[in-house]
Amino acid sequence: MKKVTVPEQGLGEKVIRHATAIGVAMKESVYPLTATVFYPRERKKMPDNFRGYLMFDPDKCISCWECAFVCPANAIQMKVAPNKRYYPTVDYGKCIFCHFCVDSCSGGALKTTKIHDVAYKDMDEMLTLTEEMLEEPEIIREDKKSVEYVIDEHDLHLKRVREVDTLFVAVTPPVEIPMVSQCIDRASCIGCRVCEEVCESGAISSSTEQRGILRMKIDTDKCTGCGLCVKECSMRILRLVKK
Amino acid sequence: MEEGDKDRNIRILRSGVFTPLRRWGTKWSLWPCHFVTSCCGVELAHAFACGFDGERLGTLNMGISRQANFIIVEGTITRKMARALRIVWEQMPDPKFVNVIGACGQRGGIFWNSYNLTRPSEIVPVDFFIPGCPITPEGLLRGVRAVQEKIEGRDRTTIKFKTAELPSEGGKGKESRVPTTAKIFAPTPLIKVDVPKEVDWDFGEDLVKSLKAQLGGLYKSITITDKNRIAIKTTPENLVKVVRELSGTTGIDHVKNVNVIDVPHERKFIVEYMVSSYSEELMPVIITVFTEIGREAEPVFPSLTALWESVDYSEREMHDFFGIRFEGNEGMNGKFLLAPETQTPLRKDFKLEEERYVLEDGVPFAPKIELPSDLKMPVSEELLEEAEKSDDFVVLVGPHHTGSGHLRWIMRLKGDLIVDIIPDPGYVHRSMEKLAENRLYIQNIPLFERANISDPFNMNLGYVRAIEKALGIEVPERAKYIRTIMAELSRIGAFFYDSGILSLFTGHSTGFMYVWAIREMILEAVVRMTGSRCTPSFIIPGGIRRDISDDVLNMTSNFTSAINKRLRKFEDIFIYNPVFIARTKGVGVLTREEAIRYGIVGPFLRASGVDYDIRKVEPYEAYDKLDWEVTTGDAGDSLGRYMGRYEEIKQSLRILKQAVDAVKRMPRGAVISEEVLGEYREASKDIKGHLFHAYGNLVLPKGEWTSVTEAGRGTLLYSIISDGESNVPYRVRIVTPCWMNLRGIIEASKGERVADFWAVYGSFGYFPPEADR
Amino acid sequence: MIDINTVITGLGIAGNQVSIPIIQQMLDLLPEIPMIKLIISFILWKPFFAALICPGFTTLGILLLFFPWIERKLCGRIQWRVGPHEIVWWLGGIIQLLADSLRFLFQEVIVHKDAHRPYFLQFPFLTFIPALLPLMFIPAGNIVAIETPYAIQIILAVVCLFPLFILGLGWASNSRFAFIGTVREAFMYFAYEVPFIIAVLAMIVLYGTSDPVGIATKQTIWGIILNPIAALTFFIAAAMATSRMPFEIPEAEQELAAGPHVEYSGIAFGLIYVLCYEKAYVLAGLMTMLFLGGGSGPAIAGLGDLSGVIWFLLKVVIVLTTLFVLRAIYPRYRLDQGLSIGWSAMLSLSLIALALSIVLVLGGVI
Ligand code: SF4
Ligand code: SF4
Ligand code: SF4
Repeated sequence: MKKVTVPEQGLGEKVIRHATAIGVAMKESVYPLTATVFYPRERKKMPDNFRGYLMFDPDKCISCWECAFVCPANAIQMKVAPNKRYYPTVDYGKCIFCHFCVDSCSGGALKTTKIHDVAYKDMDEMLTLTEEMLEEPEIIREDKKSVEYVIDEHDLHLKRVREVDTLFVAVTPPVEIPMVSQCIDRASCIGCRVCEEVCESGAISSSTEQRGILRMKIDTDKCTGCGLCVKECSMRILRLVKK
Repeated sequence: MEEGDKDRNIRILRSGVFTPLRRWGTKWSLWPCHFVTSCCGVELAHAFACGFDGERLGTLNMGISRQANFIIVEGTITRKMARALRIVWEQMPDPKFVNVIGACGQRGGIFWNSYNLTRPSEIVPVDFFIPGCPITPEGLLRGVRAVQEKIEGRDRTTIKFKTAELPSEGGKGKESRVPTTAKIFAPTPLIKVDVPKEVDWDFGEDLVKSLKAQLGGLYKSITITDKNRIAIKTTPENLVKVVRELSGTTGIDHVKNVNVIDVPHERKFIVEYMVSSYSEELMPVIITVFTEIGREAEPVFPSLTALWESVDYSEREMHDFFGIRFEGNEGMNGKFLLAPETQTPLRKDFKLEEERYVLEDGVPFAPKIELPSDLKMPVSEELLEEAEKSDDFVVLVGPHHTGSGHLRWIMRLKGDLIVDIIPDPGYVHRSMEKLAENRLYIQNIPLFERANISDPFNMNLGYVRAIEKALGIEVPERAKYIRTIMAELSRIGAFFYDSGILSLFTGHSTGFMYVWAIREMILEAVVRMTGSRCTPSFIIPGGIRRDISDDVLNMTSNFTSAINKRLRKFEDIFIYNPVFIARTKGVGVLTREEAIRYGIVGPFLRASGVDYDIRKVEPYEAYDKLDWEVTTGDAGDSLGRYMGRYEEIKQSLRILKQAVDAVKRMPRGAVISEEVLGEYREASKDIKGHLFHAYGNLVLPKGEWTSVTEAGRGTLLYSIISDGESNVPYRVRIVTPCWMNLRGIIEASKGERVADFWAVYGSFGYFPPEADR
Repeated sequence: MIDINTVITGLGIAGNQVSIPIIQQMLDLLPEIPMIKLIISFILWKPFFAALICPGFTTLGILLLFFPWIERKLCGRIQWRVGPHEIVWWLGGIIQLLADSLRFLFQEVIVHKDAHRPYFLQFPFLTFIPALLPLMFIPAGNIVAIETPYAIQIILAVVCLFPLFILGLGWASNSRFAFIGTVREAFMYFAYEVPFIIAVLAMIVLYGTSDPVGIATKQTIWGIILNPIAALTFFIAAAMATSRMPFEIPEAEQELAAGPHVEYSGIAFGLIYVLCYEKAYVLAGLMTMLFLGGGSGPAIAGLGDLSGVIWFLLKVVIVLTTLFVLRAIYPRYRLDQGLSIGWSAMLSLSLIALALSIVLVLGGVI
């Protein structure tokens, strides 16, 4: 345990302290430790893992809805694309840039950019549809230089470079583990066909066997392992297993 | 709000002969009347401090509505605050502009279905919306530029998306069924807060024995629910007796938490008090004394204020939330935290809007919000009358005042002396506890972080530790150390935040700027670690989201020495400035007994001489493996509180240095527990790609799981009640240090001079969003 | 045809001209154009020059336009940032104040319901009287508008009227914060006034005259060196009088939301905003005169009388800067601390200063 005592200042000490304070001000007015980024004209470099606006790649999306489920702000809502699959849209009027969606996306369909300084004149524009997330958006930029914070043992320095920082980063997608859905208890299936209806890849099909009982069949080639059927199954008899 | 209001100001600017001059003048002289309503204010401060210096653009911060012409709404506008926003807007001279920063000011952000939120755009005409949570300083300045351009005549959104073709192949050809929600609610779960648990805890068994002997027939059962946790069940009649007995003989001297749990299907409320002691051996023990009462419209319950004054505000809060009358508590008339029109929102039958997972035309993105109808912000008539009679002067400070923070202080003055201060909190009450009951466990991580974005990691850590405790997950060593690094960075950041506020409160803008430069360094380290400046949401059950690179580790270790240069200047110009010392010395003294009585926590309690630091008492993460000391003081005044914390930060730097070195020596390895990753563990060492798989269906075992954490400003308590079946918590109670310290601020400033109030207030590091949650 | 020269002589402005050798030749070429000559002679007539150009309105105007910029830049520098900058960024945002003043000029002036309307609107203008009047008596070098041996006393009297007007502002605002602010202003006024007057008195005793020009000529050694204690007292009192840190007690933005000014908007606030600078200007002028040798300094070749003006302005700006940069160095004292500093420390300092002056005079140093 360490006891802290508060400073006591006698007259002499006070005079010295006044002088020191004034001294600091004088020194700083000559050699200031300025740490200012001149923002609209220059831009601070953000690290590559910066969590900014999202971009989307439909080819990698398996429509697993996990981004929508995990989004704490309910900013992601799914919308049907021409191919009748559901893809995410992002409402930046709600998004809190937590990137839980990015971290949930097992195929790496969602990725980050370094865009974070945007002003909308209307709230309705803040909804970004899927088709707008495929290509790199354009933002108004006035910067000619980029600044990087360098912290060495002695102090913080601002390193200015005469280059326009690119806002789009290449990210390595997560390692994919191919999963497929599998029924673990066929006897319990009641043939409600929820799994068939919910599957976006058409991997589950049903056929009527004898006495009108439905038999579900999972096509492991088509199955993307999105897990929707597992989640929806009324009897909870589906599991995801490694391919 | 009328139609066309949005362009009104531009029309005003265009009228008259001197249009070009007018426009040019206004363009370069947008003085923001910063409406620091919530956590985005932290980033606003960064935008106007030395890191980005908004004054460059001619936007000089001016807290006074009459002289400003630009409102920057910083995030949440709650129902209570909505009135203030409208009033301030009306007070401003034309032409005036409004920018809204932060998601909560737009469609609510993470609080989108909160019962206490309104939308600024429905209250005042808004010119620009800046997304982010919080926005970055760049975003804010972009907003300023956008307004400038609007004045020039170019009113535009600063981003342009390109529309691309979506694939038309690859589906099964027809629309599939929309999946149901990911949340599982057990319809009528059994709620039990005293689920026994086998633990290896001899002291506890002895304690239970002695408690049983001591309490005689007053209790129904005494259970050990976890290590250091004991639950005593009693009847409503006996509760006061039990508590009196505990405080008399056992030496229990403070209440950590007052909680109510609504169990509608059993027609009961569970009322619980978590009590503990600052005497050496009982320090880590938390005893939950609870009882059940009938679920009526307004049940009556005896208050404990007579015994411990610290429960006062928490009881009032429970009165707001559940409508329980605590007999004996003075604040039972009217609302404390909530707006007058809100009724008992934490009862289970008060439903919130459900998430929508599909974008449908014509469905609003966020629920409709009814605005408060009148603009009055009432003060109790009796108070005014009484003050009039005794010739006191009543001043209302806040909620929009340069030195009030986001709450209102009703001050009664006699000359220059403060007779009484009545707090009127709740202006940033965003209903976290209610929202948490409606979200997945994992989704609550960013939610609770928003309680205090100047100390985000500790907010994370507390909640995550409660979950880990419930699930019994062991965190990998490397992750433990990294979490320690993060927690300490966060603590340092919180301290400097408060130093900045204190220096502003004492009128020292340089002090504010200096510490904000230091904070800028901290945020730089944080953004490189996590990708976000203020809201990392990085600590997750079982570890952290990603490993951090060596560069960042080096940077963090450099930071511990680089800070010295700037810190020394800060010391010279601020801390040891004789004027500052004169302002804070001997002001707002709280003795050890008072401090405990009023329920003060954290460094402020230590400044009054109590040697209690959770990092030592109930060590978590890597704290017990590092070499550091708890700092205490005896002065108990504003200066003592401040210096105590300052010393603590030096210890934090020590911890930081050691922890970074330890991590650097460690081999790279998993940063997340394998249990959590499950079958995905072989693919990755971190959570990328598997967050939902791993946590989507997290269900905690039945019972109450309480974690205490030493956050930047003191004891942070999370108490999760799980029903054992749902993947959302049944109830989460957060007791934040600032909420506990509120009482201390009031008591310490009574009898001091008016100006002292700010010296006391600042020294307590009060962060209103954290207090109001 | 009337001879211009006769008119000029007739008006009595001929002998009292500001002489500026460097432009004299140019002026000599001009007499052919009659009116110009008259105007120029009139402008260069010392009293007129003093009132209108320096240290009078024009200088004041320019100062008001640029000094806050200097202050903001310097404070910004001390605070590790840059201050106003982007407006014309290659000049470091030098015309920031122009934008601000234009904005205030054209902005709506709100008179709230509870205000005492006539006074609320009149006081910002009325306050200019005590702010501008002293300028008539302050010499820039040897140029002064009204020459009188009692100049210092008059300046003191007028300056001390100032708080009354602030009281008026606050009272007319009828707001609680304004009210507390005005009361604080009144308290502070009593605290600094006595030491302030005694400090000035000490200098008058030292110089044996209260004629500004006389004082200037007497200062072969600057007053600040002769009697540093008086200078210190004067400076602190000036900081108190202009509500500078650490004595920004009546305004105290974080406590009282700028006290007396809280309800003012638009151009009314603009006027109040510059008021404090005007007052500071007057006090800095006084300080220059009493302690820094007025307009003395090595003569700048070719500028003649203007050389004094330039030295004077330079010193004034330095004093002003010091006064205003205090806000980057100090927090704010509490009201009671401010009062006790005024009534004890400064009062005794001022008395010591007076004693020192007497000793110096008796010792025949001056
Ligand atoms: S989580 Fe990824 S793969 Fe799944 S729906 Fe969202 S974007 Fe598509
Ligand atoms: S970043 Fe977070 S809030 Fe934004 S869309 Fe993704 S999950 Fe939702
Ligand atoms: S939660 Fe806080 S940080 Fe996020 S937008 Fe709202 S005010 Fe800003």
